[in-house]
Parts: sequence; C-alpha cells; structure tokens
Amino acid sequence: MSTVDITPHDLPERRSVFTPELLDRCISCGFCLPACPTYALTGVETSSPRGRINLMRALETGVLPDDDPTVNEESSFCLGCRACEPVCPAGVQYGALLEEWRDHLWNGRRRPWNVKPLLWAVDSPSRVRAMGIVRRHAGRSREAPGPVNLMLGCFERVLYPRVSRDARKLAPELAAPSAQGCCGALHAHNGELERGRELARDLGAALPGTIVTTSGGCGAHLAGVLGAARVQQFPQWWLAREPPADGATADGAAVADGAGAGTPAARRLRIGLQDSCHLRNGLGVWREPRELIARIGEYVELPSAAACCGAAGSYSVVRPKDSARVLDPHLDEIAAADLDVIVVVNAGCYRQLQQGVKRRGLRTRVVHIAELLAGER
Amino acid sequence: MTATATSTLLQRALEEVVGREHVRTDEGALLTFSTDATPLEHGHPDAVVFPASAEEVAGVLRLANERRVPVVPRGSGTNLSAGTVPQLGGIVLVLTRMNQVKEVSSADLVAVCEPGVRTLELAQAAAAVGLLYPPDPGSQSTATIGGNVAECAGGLRALKYGVTRDYVLGVQAVLPTGEIIRSGGRLVKDVAGYDLRRLLCGSEGTLAVMTELTLRLVPAPEASGYGMAYFPDLADAARAVSRVLASGILPVTLEFLDRVCIGAVEDYAHIGLDTSAGALLIFGQDGNPAVIERDLERMAQASTTEGATSVRIAESPEAANEILQARRAALPALSRLEPLTLLEDATVPRSRIAEMVDFIQEVAERHQLKIGTFGHAGDGNLHPTAVLDAADEGAVDRAHAAFNEIFTRALELDGTITGEHGIGISKLRFLEQQLGADHVALLRRIKAAFDPNGILNPGKLGS
Repeated sequence: MSTVDITPHDLPERRSVFTPELLDRCISCGFCLPACPTYALTGVETSSPRGRINLMRALETGVLPDDDPTVNEESSFCLGCRACEPVCPAGVQYGALLEEWRDHLWNGRRRPWNVKPLLWAVDSPSRVRAMGIVRRHAGRSREAPGPVNLMLGCFERVLYPRVSRDARKLAPELAAPSAQGCCGALHAHNGELERGRELARDLGAALPGTIVTTSGGCGAHLAGVLGAARVQQFPQWWLAREPPADGATADGAAVADGAGAGTPAARRLRIGLQDSCHLRNGLGVWREPRELIARIGEYVELPSAAACCGAAGSYSVVRPKDSARVLDPHLDEIAAADLDVIVVVNAGCYRQLQQGVKRRGLRTRVVHIAELLAGER
Repeated sequence: MTATATSTLLQRALEEVVGREHVRTDEGALLTFSTDATPLEHGHPDAVVFPASAEEVAGVLRLANERRVPVVPRGSGTNLSAGTVPQLGGIVLVLTRMNQVKEVSSADLVAVCEPGVRTLELAQAAAAVGLLYPPDPGSQSTATIGGNVAECAGGLRALKYGVTRDYVLGVQAVLPTGEIIRSGGRLVKDVAGYDLRRLLCGSEGTLAVMTELTLRLVPAPEASGYGMAYFPDLADAARAVSRVLASGILPVTLEFLDRVCIGAVEDYAHIGLDTSAGALLIFGQDGNPAVIERDLERMAQASTTEGATSVRIAESPEAANEILQARRAALPALSRLEPLTLLEDATVPRSRIAEMVDFIQEVAERHQLKIGTFGHAGDGNLHPTAVLDAADEGAVDRAHAAFNEIFTRALELDGTITGEHGIGISKLRFLEQQLGADHVALLRRIKAAFDPNGILNPGKLGS
C-alpha cells in the first residue's frame, strides 16, 4: 500500500490560483458538511465544501492537474449557494474561493458549453436593454439616476418585468433608468471573475448613489464589488423606509383579500418563503422578508426554506438533472404544507420554483416579495 | 503483480460487495478522504467504500482480511487526533450511508440507530419524544454517533451526565475477520460475558466496526439557566468551582475561558466581555425551575466569595444565549488569529486546573507561541489551543515541543494526555508514558485477539 504524501504542507510552492489568505483559512473541522446540499445528495466528502477546499489546495500545489476529472466535476457540481459560510467557525469565504476556482478552470474551453450564450447575452448593457425592450418593466429610457436607484436586472427584466414595476409602484421615489446593464454576477460565478467585477463597476457608475436590488444573487455580487454601503436589498430597504405599525396592513391588501386566488376573503393566506442563498448566506438578510410576509398572511417556515432551491444562477441551465434533484424536497414541502403562496426574493429562484410547481401541478402561486407587497396577482 | 493490477483487482472485488457506484478510486476522491479534522496529518487510501449494511461491512472486511489490506472506518471525519487518517493506505470504510434512527423507545428509554446518524439528529429524535441524549461534543452537528462511540466523545455536560460510554447499552459490530457479534442490548443490567460494548467504546476503530448502537436516553430536563462570573485570576475561578461542588450542587455547565481567550473572543464577536479579567466562568443548571434558581444563586454566591469581580445571572433565554456565546466563540475566535490551529485536550483533576493553565501560559511564553486555553472547569478537561502560521516551520516544531511539555505536566498532575479527542496518530507516542509498558503490551494482545492480521486501522491504538 502506498504512503504518498499529498497535502499542501509538503509542497509549499504555490501556483497562485487562489488568494493564500482565503485558502489557508479552512481548519478542516467539517462543520460545513451538514449545510451543503450536494453533500446531502451524495454523502460523499469529495462533494462537500471541506472536500472541495482540499481539491483546491491540491490544485494550488500542483498535486492534482488542471484537467483532473474530479476537480472539474466538483467545480461544476457545487451550487455556489454559500450555505457553508454562516456555519463556518473559521470564517472561510467559500464563495470567493469558488469564483477563483472557476476563473482558473473555466477560462477557455473547459467552461460548460451551455452557459456561454447566457454570458454573451448579458455581457453588454445594450444587449441587456434590447432583451427587455418588449417587456413592461419599470425602466424609463430617458430617466436620470436619482439618489436611490432600482436595479432592473438582466434576465429579471425579461422574465419578470412586474417585479421592478411593483417595486416602483410601492416606492415611486426609486429611479429606474433603463440604461443599466447586468451586475456581472453571472460572469463572476462562471469563470469570468474580472469581467464580472468590471460589469458591477459599470453598473455602479450608471447608478450612482444607493442601488436597491430585487435579486439576492445580484445584490451580493454588487455589494462585494461596490461595498455593502452602496447596495440595499429590497425587503431590507422597504422595512427601513416604511413607517411601521399603522401603514403596515395596507400592504398587499388585494392578496390578503384573496383576489385572484379563489380563496374566501376571511381566510388568511398561508405563505412560505424560499430564501435566496446569497441574500441569506452572503448578506445576512433573512429576517426581513419573513417579517414582511407575516404582515400579509400566515407565514409558514418550510423546513428547507433556507436551503438552495437548485436554481443557483446558471446551475439549472448547466446541470438540469442535479438542479431538479436539489429542488425536489422543496416541492415536497410546499405540497405537504399546502401553501397558497411561495414567496421568492431572487429571479433565479422565481423561475426554478415556477417551473417546479407547474411540473408537479401544485396549486401554490410563486410570487416575488415586491409583487406580494404591491398586492397584485 | 504490479501495484496497479492489485488495486484494480481490489476495486473489482469491492464493487461486487457494495455496488459499483459505492466505490471511489479516483485520485480526487482519494485525496479528500486522506485527512480528517486533524491538521498536518494525512495518508493516501487506495479505495473509498460506502457500505449500506452490516452484511456489506462484513463482506468488505472479509475481503480485506484475506488480502491483508488496511481498513480505516470513518464517519464524518471530524476526528482531532488523526484517528481516521489512512496512514498505511488501504480502504477507507465510510459509514455515512448507514444513517437510520431505527427506534426511539419511551418505554425502554433507548434509541437504536445505525452508526452514520449524526449525533445532533439522534438528540433531536430523542427530544421529539421528551427524552435527552446527553453527550454533546462540539462537533455534534456534523459528527456521527458511530464516531462518537468509537472515540468515546465527551462534551459540555460531562460533569453531570457523563460521557458517551455511559450511554452505550448495546452494539452490533463486525469483527475484522468478518463475523457479526452483539454485545449488550436494551438492558440497564446485563453482566453476561466481558463488557465488550464498553471495550469497543473508545477503541478508535481498531477492534471492530460498529454497525448498530443501542443508546440509553434520559428524561429531558424541564428547563435550564445560566450565569457568568469574572475573576482576576484563573486560580480564583478554580476555587469557586471547588466551592460549588463541595456545596452539594452538580451543575450541568461549568466552562471557563482564560485571559487569552477572553481577549480573542471580544476582538472577534464584540459581545462586551471584560478583557481586563483573568478568567471567565460560565455556570449553568438544568432541571426543575425552582432548583435552577436556587443553584444559580448558590453558584453566584460561591463566585463572589472567591473573589469574582462581577457576577451575572441570565434573566431570559436570550441573555443565557449571550452568555453561552462567549464559550461557543472561543474556538472560532482563536482560529481566526492565524492559519493553523492546534487544538489539544490535556485533562487534569479539577483541583489542578489553575496550576495546569498557569503552566500552559508559561510554556507558551517560553516557546514564543500564542496559546489560549478554554475548557470544562467541571471535569478538568482543558483545550489549550495554539494558533500559528503554517508557513513558519519553526512555529510548528515549537508547538510540538510545547505540547510535549504540556502532556508531561498533565501526567505529573495525575491527568491524561487526552480527555476526549482520542489517541489516533497524534498522541500514540505519548501513550506508553501514561499507561506503562505492561499496559500497552496488554492492549496489543487484546488487539491481536480481535484482529489477528492487524488490518483494522493499523498503526494506531494496539499496533
């Protein structure tokens, strides 16, 4: 039997794939294992955050080559949900490590083929603008940025234009110039880290002042590049903005009355939430949407509310089968709780749950928090 | 035959036992199973196998025994003494697929479960029917019950409730030669034969692979309450602990942080700790609310009598949580100071705690190391934690030298080199110093009786 020494400590030469301070942080305690959705699916250490950090360390020291199949499979299998970060006693910034990992591995031909068109579509602000042109989102083409600006998103403005429209209906003071591009999160999470940062800086320049986002994934990336002070998440911002108590019941009156839901007006709606991973794990925003929902209906905390739904940015496109496996327990819980509404706070989760709910034929409606508050649908 | 050909044959044979998808031999997977939570220790396995039943475990062990291939059993790999590191290669036998809680019985006050159940899951299953599984090691959210039994894990409630060994009523285990045995069962009283379940508890995966565990549960306490006291010096805190125990109270919690830990926790968590204090004592009681109130009051009194500079009793669960946070944050706070964290568990009789902690500080200064000490004041289990820069090789050597002195001193004070982390690879060279040559020779004979070919976790306890 072999006794080959293979840990980084024996091979101090580094290849500078990773920032040393990030990679050295992990103390291998394994506290991340129960938080990881792909570890839950497989039960295999290799598909856990600690396992992946050991793979990164092997890559960094040249113990495993760039084309090692396990290294490549795991860099793609990871959802990037960052559920490992809040439970990490050593403060490992796993999301940042994953970005560096994919930046190194996926630059060039190893990038999954099906993510390329997505990146191309959102790479230029004019393309993003053109995608949204036929949709009735909140953006105005000649509008000047204000002190507080609403980010329209790239795919969100195409797929869910009502989200920004409702956000603006709730808060007319939000400026929403449509001359804004993509935040760059998609690039950063798919191996184009520098381009992703550049797009975030461009968006920061197009929207000076505070940026309010309606998608957790975009918000976390923007906050990472522009600084947390510049970026506010819609539920958080809305709670801070509004006068408390009295005005609160006005929110979502139409939904609460059961309009369009076919439910008796007397019954309070049973409403669940799907946390956005990066909103919760990256920015620590999770109490706020719950508080807002509880003002409108009966809030039901699903057992997996905080766990990734499998959308994970472009993951549902890149790895549809795994994405569906991650989603399944969420759908089971929504069905078991017989929810009237499941609330989302991120465009990717919106699409993921909408498709899942439809596939299962569930009666539950998928609604963005801004739509719920605006009382439509 | 070449090494590769041998490996391929082994792989095929293993696949026949557990199924093709439950054997991993790719280099990346092997690498991720080459370590556990112990820094600086690693091996290189030839295969990783995930059995789903006792029969599959037996199949793997028979095969390994015939071919004289090492087998290292493992759960979640949270071991802190390199006990699950495959230092001689071979097969890593991962038991996490065997993860069912089979039964929780309120009538018999037992839980029956497979080894891959996480300890916290077991505790939750017991809590759901109003029962308590008391052992609560720091890693309980990740660690498996099989690993806890194999290591005889401790935890924060040991003074009042004991350790894992006090809760193991029965085990089913597979011998390295492939036979499946049972020892004990659902009975509190059972003296038929040698107490093998106790022998297997703490055997660190060197004697047999446990495939089912029957664990004792107790009624869950009605409530719990906590308080804290600052002392100018750890010796004062230690006297307060002695006074508490002499007064007839058996508290559920008696935890302390030394000066270095208080500073590190405050820098990290900003929870308003008094960084001028020499020691922080956290005390707690569970049970009937009236008893809790009385005991907390007495513990506060004992602290004041022994020179506490300030004492506080939590009035609400939130306040209690704040108090406990100081203790929970100790390891995270220390580990953030430097890239490499060496966490030890030298243990002394509780009357010698102050002496031991003073010695640890003296050693740290002499070796130019930063060592913070926190731990279980009630049972003398200390966690001296050295934080160092891994790139500074001199620091690693100095830390090893410092811990050599610390272990030796613990033995001089009638203590042990390990209270709850186990011998593994890390402490093996100190074992004879504690047990003596005759005792170690007996351990080897016991090991040989279970494992004639020395395939199970070789190079560790009993080898």
